Amino acid sequence: MNELDTIYKAHLALKEKKISSFELTSEHLKVAKENKNNSFVSVLEDAALEESKIKDEEISKTGAKSFLHGIPYNLKDLFITKNIRTTAGSKILYNYIPPYDGATSLNLKKSGAVLVGKVGCDEFGMGSSNENTIFGPVQHPLNKDFLPGGSSGGSAVSVLEGASLFSIGTDTGGSVRLPANFCGLVGFKPTYGRVSRFGQIAYGSSLDQAAPFAKTPLDIAMIMDHLSTNDELDSTQAPIGNMNSAKKILENKENSLNMTVGYDPSMIDACREDVKENLQASIKDLKSKGVKFKEITLPHLKYSIAVYYVIATSEASSNLARFDGIHYGLSVRESADLEETYKASRSIGFGDEVKRRVLLGTFCLSSGYADEYYKTACKVRRLIYNDFQNAFKECDYIYSPVCATTAFEKNKISTPLEMYMNDLYTIPVNLAGLPSIALPYGKSSMNQMPTGFQLIANSFKDEELLLDSHKIFEVLK
Amino acid sequence: MMDLEPVIGIEIHVQLDTNTKAWCNCELKVNGFENHYVCEVCSAQPGTLPVVNKQAINYAVMLGLATNCNINKTSFYDRKNYFYPDLPKGYQITQFKTPICEDGVVEILKADASSTKKIRLERIQLEEDTGKSTHHGDYSLINLNRAGTPLVEIVTKPDFSNAKEVTNFLKKVHAILVYLGVSKGNLQDGNMRCDVNLSLKEAGSTVLGTRTEVKNLNSYRSVEKAIEHEMKRQAEILNSGKKVLQQTLLFDVETNSNKVLRTKTDADDYRYFPEPDLMPLLVSDNQIHKIKENLPELPDVKMKRFVSEFSIPLYDAEVLCSDKDLANYFEKSCNLAGKNYKKISNWIMSELLKYVNEAKANINKIKLTPSHLVDLVALVESGEISGKIAKEIFVKVYDTGKLASDIVKEEGLKQNSNTDELEALVEKLINENPKEAEELKSGRDRMMGFFVGQVMKSTGGKANPKLTTELVKKLLSL
Repeated sequence: MNELDTIYKAHLALKEKKISSFELTSEHLKVAKENKNNSFVSVLEDAALEESKIKDEEISKTGAKSFLHGIPYNLKDLFITKNIRTTAGSKILYNYIPPYDGATSLNLKKSGAVLVGKVGCDEFGMGSSNENTIFGPVQHPLNKDFLPGGSSGGSAVSVLEGASLFSIGTDTGGSVRLPANFCGLVGFKPTYGRVSRFGQIAYGSSLDQAAPFAKTPLDIAMIMDHLSTNDELDSTQAPIGNMNSAKKILENKENSLNMTVGYDPSMIDACREDVKENLQASIKDLKSKGVKFKEITLPHLKYSIAVYYVIATSEASSNLARFDGIHYGLSVRESADLEETYKASRSIGFGDEVKRRVLLGTFCLSSGYADEYYKTACKVRRLIYNDFQNAFKECDYIYSPVCATTAFEKNKISTPLEMYMNDLYTIPVNLAGLPSIALPYGKSSMNQMPTGFQLIANSFKDEELLLDSHKIFEVLK
Repeated sequence: MMDLEPVIGIEIHVQLDTNTKAWCNCELKVNGFENHYVCEVCSAQPGTLPVVNKQAINYAVMLGLATNCNINKTSFYDRKNYFYPDLPKGYQITQFKTPICEDGVVEILKADASSTKKIRLERIQLEEDTGKSTHHGDYSLINLNRAGTPLVEIVTKPDFSNAKEVTNFLKKVHAILVYLGVSKGNLQDGNMRCDVNLSLKEAGSTVLGTRTEVKNLNSYRSVEKAIEHEMKRQAEILNSGKKVLQQTLLFDVETNSNKVLRTKTDADDYRYFPEPDLMPLLVSDNQIHKIKENLPELPDVKMKRFVSEFSIPLYDAEVLCSDKDLANYFEKSCNLAGKNYKKISNWIMSELLKYVNEAKANINKIKLTPSHLVDLVALVESGEISGKIAKEIFVKVYDTGKLASDIVKEEGLKQNSNTDELEALVEKLINENPKEAEELKSGRDRMMGFFVGQVMKSTGGKANPKLTTELVKKLLSL
């Protein structure tokens, strides 16, 4: 089993009949059911086994229809799955069974992949540690004293522990790249608008993107080729059709790393010593393989955290208004009074971090404050976007840390603001709507936890980024 | 007592008659089986997103062009946040900052019908309707069939001087909506809803008073009554030296008065912000051009054409054009007759509308068609039947669908214009009524009515009244 640790390897084994989807799924389900690290919220054992048998029949009849055919995977519990409980990690949706399928669920159904379960996350995707959830924190498989990062912590852990070959998380401010980085995996945030958001429970609508976790950029490409389907149900998705990146990677014969990568040395200098060491080593490594590095400046990025916490929470305050205890989800009706029902349902249904962000966003949009906060934030967001656009005049990609530290130890972060600072390097990418891939590189000399970096590309250069990431990943191996 | 004058502006919400809802593919059946015409989008299930209804956008552009608005080639959707059970998303998608249409003008007839007046439109914005709550003692029910129905909100400038102007405007907007085919536009059915904003100021002053908003106006009569009541109510407050509060009032049909719903406070904060789930709304020149080309003839244009083509008064044209079908009926009749246009208009406005309105009939489906009307009018104008007989025949034609000329033949109702016969009758009358004849001779013109009336009576209404009058004059040497 262990040698079949990527989608591509498992795909080849399925194709060559060395293993069946049933066997593959069973092995992964075993880990999922054990749930050692508390990564799963729901394990769909019977349905997954049933599905895997169907996939085996299909594959034996007509061959694998895609790289994902028969491959076990899971979804962050923020993705709507028809007739399968979808909680968003929240008490308010604890018993919510959706009556419809979201785009991500449908796209992967069509690909032939096998859904083994729904995995844990910070409530509504709000958090960087995966502690803000009614299902309890997700543990780091490499060291029980550490946290895997969030908000898509369950996704990262499930892939690392071998409970799925890939997982789809969501990345609003780094929620996929951060846990991927903390777990030594590859995490890819597509360009905003590359993937449909229909059926993804909204946090910050102008920032949210579905984002895959896997072990290699090639696997990511195989997933993205299915996630990037046009969906007329999301008006903010660019109708430019499916990516075809896996085939391009596999057929590519040109392996030179002829590219210019921009980086801001001050961003690297600001990282913790152990992380800095490895970042510098990776740059040296890449230079030796022919990558040209060029210093750039991104002067407005220092405002990213402030801008993000105004815009994301403003949108969230409105997006979460539908959880009112009236139509579905938790409803606390101790009083006949409508306002009391709202208050009680939301007070009991939402966790502290969600309440904090809803309050913050409500404040930022309030009359008298909206100009100062929301509108100013939108203007600065534009300046951040412009910084990136200026930088891309000089380089193909931008190299950046994912986080200033490695995965952090439990109970070490005491204030919300300290937690927010972890997303300093990931947030600007969401604000600018750009694609970015988090790639693993080395282990910390301090705590042996994984380290890595991210490569950011310009809008809709998703395919190019995956192609080059694959080359980089291969030469750095 | 201060000399006060009202400043009135209105907001109209119009349900667009599209095939599907504003953001999803649900059928629009507000009165269908409760909560049946609902999907994951309009019930605001988590993860759902809106998709704009192109037909609704086209309808808004049509309405904008028909009301002389500027069409914004780029407009934006915003969210208006508030909690209410029949608003499942917790926000309404609307257009706050930049609506699709701005700065329009609608011409209406003044209260005395003497001339027209221009009412300026501030904006027409696209938005959505809520579901419907019904309250039953200790519980309430929600029906989401209406949730997500596409609406346009029309906001006027405070250009109205009295209640009649407001209802004239509403009738004009109704006509435009029906001509365009974009809405049923009926106040009583709720597919057109009107809120009135009203304040009083000292006559001649430019300083505006505090305004109130009156809701729940579901007939033209309610609108007029509510405005009259509100003007009186505010005048009483101001004249007693008190201040009008900024309030939302509900019109009560039972008492013809306005009741305070709530006093507006600073707490009303809808936290508007751009809807991040929708792209800016783009309307191309080409699209506007195409829509413009396909616009039907609008009430105002038709009105002016009727005035010049058929030489009828402005007031007649206004009434006839207030209803598309009625206007078509009139025009068909005129084209068939080729003359007598004013007479045709009179017959439609006085007789036909009376029966049609009484029976709430569809003018396209009545038995008295334009050719029946033309036949009847021709009989009157040629003097073959009297006006009195014509009115009687009219009812028969309306009921049976027979031609008036056939009824006249069958029943021998032809007007008597036989001079000898009538002269004998008149002579006999004068002899029998010497006192009345004397009075008429000495200048009591009223007595002419007596003689003509008696002749009519004895001929069963068939005598030609004009000829009879001449004969009386002749025999009395007047």
